[in-house]
Amino acid sequence: MDIGHVLTDAVVTRALGAALSVLLLAGAWQKLRDRELFQAAVENYQLVPQSWLAFIATGLSLLELAAGILLLPTSTRPLGASLTGVVLLVVTGAVVINLLRGRTDIDCGCGGLSAHVGEQSLTWALVMRNVLLLAALLLSLSDAEQRPLVWFDYLTVAGTTLALLGLYVAANQLMANQPRLQSLRTH
Amino acid sequence: MNEALIISNILLWAVVLALLVTVLALSRQIGILYERISPMGALMLDQGPKVGDVSPRFNLESLSGASVAVGLSEQKKSQLLFFLSPTCPVCKKLLPILKSISVSERSWLELVFASDGDRPEQVEFYRRVGLTDFPYVLSTELGMAFKVGRLPYAILIGEDGRIRGKGLVNSREQVESLFTAKELGVASVQEFIDQRA
Repeated sequence: MDIGHVLTDAVVTRALGAALSVLLLAGAWQKLRDRELFQAAVENYQLVPQSWLAFIATGLSLLELAAGILLLPTSTRPLGASLTGVVLLVVTGAVVINLLRGRTDIDCGCGGLSAHVGEQSLTWALVMRNVLLLAALLLSLSDAEQRPLVWFDYLTVAGTTLALLGLYVAANQLMANQPRLQSLRTH
Repeated sequence: MNEALIISNILLWAVVLALLVTVLALSRQIGILYERISPMGALMLDQGPKVGDVSPRFNLESLSGASVAVGLSEQKKSQLLFFLSPTCPVCKKLLPILKSISVSERSWLELVFASDGDRPEQVEFYRRVGLTDFPYVLSTELGMAFKVGRLPYAILIGEDGRIRGKGLVNSREQVESLFTAKELGVASVQEFIDQRA
């Protein structure tokens, strides 16, 4: 059994899919609950005209919600994965444009599971994180040959999903800490 | 043998997840520490003029050109000093709430917006979000005098020029808690609980 087979095993792909779905649903839930806040965060990116803000902010949240829901059932997974890809590419593009403009001092407005880590400013680490999420998305689609799953596999799926989500939140916290540590060093 | 592997695997999962929770808690705690000891955060916490102290006074020019007395209202009203910035999402969310408060509490409260930084950007923001009816001052010294670190920050100054309440505000409830603090004559919820104990 080589590493390629392990990475594309149904246990891995299912856990990745489930973890991504939870991330999207948590993000969408938080953005839709506090729409004014997300709208102000979108405004900070300075990419869309004022009159479009409400439409773009709500649209992006709903797209995220749809992607999260559709990613779970096997039948709708390809559609869910495409939507997830679109959401990730759009938001990462927005972050990259503002990084290149030098507007790093704004809150990323990421919300969701990383809402409690405090203010998260724009960094290249954020772009890296999204690239990793995209890689996870591609990997989650690659279970070509299915082996029959036994009860023990579901335990592994559940454990891996929880572990991935925990790692995601921890990584976000450390990313949010980094600029604060930097400002301590320079003062 | 199989059973042994299954048990060992379950145990390992339990330990891995428990360790992950520990890592999460640790990184969160480090984050909170950074927030507290960063130069800006520390100033906000217990420093600056205290509740009950006489507020520092400033005569500043509003973006509209009018002069604004900060610290002691010329209209013999209380003054709510709201520190904000054009890039702070929570500040923007609170603006409609503050506007409605300024109408409902008009009889005793005067609202003053305060910020600092790039003037053209601030003027554009002030026009766009419809704050032209309010005094809006730009002053780094003002923020330093009150040791404002994080935004949105609000300070309630009584009609006698003494500070009645202050703090980081994220919601209507938190803004209104400043009014309650003034009515009850307490500095914070903690003090209120202590008094009742």
